[in-house]
Amino acid sequence: MTLAWRPWLYFGPAALIAGGLAVALTATSDHEQHPEQAIALVLFVSWSFILAGLIGWTRRPQNRTGMLMVAVGFGVLIAVLGEANHPVPYTLGALFGSLFIAAFVHLLLAYPSGRLLSRRARVLVGAGYTVAFLAPLAESMFAARETCKPHACPDNLVLVSHDHAAHVVTTTIWTAVSVVLFAAVVMLLLGRWRETTPGLRRILRSVYLFGGLSIVLLAIGFVITPFSGVGAIIVSVALIATFTTVPFIFLAGLLGTAIARGAGVGAIFSSVPERASPGEVQEGLRGALRDETAVVAYWYEEDEHYVDVEGNRFDLPEDTLRRVVTRLDYGDQPVAAIVHDAALLQEPELLEGVANAARIALERDKLLVEVRARAQRYRALLQAMPDLMFRISRDGRYISYNAPSARDLVDGEVVGKSLWDRLPTELADLVLESGRAALSGDPGVIEYHLDFEDGSTRHYEGRFAASGDDEFLMIVREITERKQQQEELEASRQRIVAAGDAARRKLERNLHDGAQQRLVSLSLSLRLAQNQVAKSPERAEELLEASREELMQALEELRELARGIHPAVLTDRGLEAALDALAGRAALPVEVDCIPDIELPPPVEAAAYYVVSEALANITKYAGASAVKVSIGQVNGYALVEVADDGVGGADPARGSGLSGLSDRVASLNGKLVIDSPPGAGTRIRAEIPLE
Amino acid sequence: MTVLIVDDHPSFRASARTLLESEGYEVVGEAENGADAVKAAQELHPDLVLLDVQLPDIDGFQVAEQLCRLDDPPAVVLTSSRDRADYGPCINVCGACGFVPKADLSGAAIAALLVA
Repeated sequence: MTLAWRPWLYFGPAALIAGGLAVALTATSDHEQHPEQAIALVLFVSWSFILAGLIGWTRRPQNRTGMLMVAVGFGVLIAVLGEANHPVPYTLGALFGSLFIAAFVHLLLAYPSGRLLSRRARVLVGAGYTVAFLAPLAESMFAARETCKPHACPDNLVLVSHDHAAHVVTTTIWTAVSVVLFAAVVMLLLGRWRETTPGLRRILRSVYLFGGLSIVLLAIGFVITPFSGVGAIIVSVALIATFTTVPFIFLAGLLGTAIARGAGVGAIFSSVPERASPGEVQEGLRGALRDETAVVAYWYEEDEHYVDVEGNRFDLPEDTLRRVVTRLDYGDQPVAAIVHDAALLQEPELLEGVANAARIALERDKLLVEVRARAQRYRALLQAMPDLMFRISRDGRYISYNAPSARDLVDGEVVGKSLWDRLPTELADLVLESGRAALSGDPGVIEYHLDFEDGSTRHYEGRFAASGDDEFLMIVREITERKQQQEELEASRQRIVAAGDAARRKLERNLHDGAQQRLVSLSLSLRLAQNQVAKSPERAEELLEASREELMQALEELRELARGIHPAVLTDRGLEAALDALAGRAALPVEVDCIPDIELPPPVEAAAYYVVSEALANITKYAGASAVKVSIGQVNGYALVEVADDGVGGADPARGSGLSGLSDRVASLNGKLVIDSPPGAGTRIRAEIPLE
Repeated sequence: MTVLIVDDHPSFRASARTLLESEGYEVVGEAENGADAVKAAQELHPDLVLLDVQLPDIDGFQVAEQLCRLDDPPAVVLTSSRDRADYGPCINVCGACGFVPKADLSGAAIAALLVA
C-alpha cells in the first residue's frame, strides 16, 4: 500500500504548485481578457484529470490509465505558460501548449489498460505527439500579426516572419494534418468498439463517447476557427463541456467498480439460495460479474481435470483477447476456475471480490460436482455393461434396471414390481436370499434358467452386490451358450469313453473269436500230431501242415487287429506312408494328395489317419463311388484333412456311429468335422484341427 | 466213455473230437449253443459234457446248472480259451467237475478231473 500511495507524494504537491503558478501567471497576464474564467477553467480541468488519475493510479498501479490522466492534467497546466508576459515562458507555452491534446489521444487509445496494444495505435499516438509539437512550432514561426488582447502579445522567440501567405499555408497544412489524425483516431476507436466483447463495451461506452466527442469537436474547432468566430466559441464551449467530463467518467468508472465490488459480492449471497445447486451458483456469478457467458469449472481431483456444473469433463480454454480464465486455487491445489469475458480483467477488484466470495460456495459445490461426475461415470459404466442389471430392495421390489437387450426380460414391466411378480417362486426366493446374503457381506453367484414365451430356454448367471443399506444389485449374464457348450462337451466326453469301451470290447471279442481260437486249435493239433508221431508219421505230418496253416491265419488276424489298434506304419514312417498304405488296401482307386514330409503333432496325425481310414471304410460300404481323393494340408495353424468321393452322397452323421465317433475325436482336439453330402453329388468330409 | 462237445467254434469242436477220440473217448455228439446242449444231453445221455463257457445264447455256467438238474446228470467239464482265473468261483458253484483251458485239453486232463 505504501508504494501505491507514492504518486500522491510527488504529483499531489506538484499539481498544487503548478496550479498556484498557473493562477499567478494568469492573474498577472497582460494579454488575458478573462483571467478569472481562465483560472477557473484551467484549474478545474487540470486538477480533475490529475485527481482522477492519481486515484486510478493508486487503485491499479499496474494500469497506466491513471498515469496518463495525470499527464493530461499537467499538460493542461503547461499550456498556461502562454499567459506569461515574459517572452521565454510565453514561447514555451505556445510550443508545448498542445501536448496535452496528444496525451489525451494517447489516453483514449490506451484505455482501458493504459497500454497501446496495437501497432496502429502506437503509430497514431507517436504522430499525435509529433504533430502536437510541430504544428504550434510552425504556427509560431509564421504567426499572424498581433492577436493578443488587451495588450500585445509578448515577443515570440521563434518567429520567422509575419508574412500572411506563409501563415495561411502553414496553418492550412497543419490543420489538415491534425484533422486527418483526429479522423484516424476516431476510426480506430469505432473499429475497436465494433470488435469488442459485450463486457468491454460496458466499460468503454462512456469514455469513448465523451472522449471521441472531444476529439471530433477539437477537429471541428481547428477547421472553423479561422472562418467563424462565433462558431469557434460554440465549439469551444461544447469542447470544454465534453473534455471536462472525461476525468469524471474515469472517476465514475473507478468508483462504479468499487460499488460493483461490494454489490457483486453481496449479490452472490443475497440472490443465491444458501444450498444453491452448482448451476445456480454459476448463474449468481454471471449476475455479479455482469457477464452472461461466464462459466464455472470445478477441479475434479480423482481424474485430474476440470468438470462443468453438470459434472462433464471441461478443458479450460487458452486465454484469448476476448475470453480468459481466472483460477481459484487453494495454495497449490486447484479448486475451481471461472472462464469469463476478458474485459473483467479491467475490473480486477470486481473479479477478485466476486471470486473470493464465490470460493466458499465453489469449494462446497466441488464435492457435489465430484459426486456427480463419479455418478455419471458409474452410470456410463453400467450402461456400457453387456449384462442385465437390477436394483432390488431388501423386501424384493425392483427399484430400477438396465437391460441392454429386452429379449432377456421375462416381462417388460420391472420397476415397482416384486420378484415374485416376475419370476417363478423358487427362483424369486433364491434371488432374495442371495441378495440378502450380499447385504450382509457375503456376495454370491447363482445359476438358473428361464423358459420364455417363444418356447426357448435360456440360462443365466446372477451375481449379487450390496448397493446400499437396504438394496442390492443383481447383475445377470446370459450363459446359455456356455451351458450348451458344456453339455456338448460332456456328451462328447461320454461318447468318447463309450466308444473306447466299445472298441475294447470289440477288440477282446475279435481276439477271442479269431486269433485265440486259432491258437487253441493249433495247440490241439500239435498235441494230436505229437500223439501220432510214433504211431503214424504220415498222419502226424498232415496234422503239422494243418497246424502251420492255422498259425499263418492266426498271425494274419493278429496283424489286422494290431493295425486296428494303432497303425504301425503311422508311427514308423509317418502320415503320408500310412495314408498310402490305406489307399493301397482300399477296394477302390484312392488318390492321396499330401504335403511332402508334413509333420503334425502325433494326436493330430492319428486323428487325420482315422478320419481317412473311417471315411474310406464308409465309402467302400455305402457310397458306391468309383474314385476317392484324399488331401492333407496345413493352413493358418490348422491341419486340414479332406476326403471326397464321387458316390451317391446323402451321408448322415447321425446314422452310423463311425462319423460321430470321428467328430468326437476331432472335437477332442478342439477341431471340427464338416460333412458335406448332398444326395447324388458325392460326399466331402473335411476335418480342421488346430495344431496347438 | 461217451462225450458231448459243446462249443460255438466248429474248428475247436473238430480238433477236440479228433484229440479225444485218439485218446479213447467216444464222441457221441456236438452242440453249438446252450439250448442245443441241454437237448442233446437229454437225448444222448453222455457220460461227459465238455462245455465251453462262452456260448452265443446262455453262458456255460447256466448250462452246467441245467445239466446237473437232469434225471441222469452227466459229468460236466468246463473249458475256455480264457484262463481259469478269469472266472473266479463260478466254476466251483455251478455243479461242474472242473475246468480245463482249451490249450491244455487232453484225455488225461479230463480223466484227472473225473477221478478227483
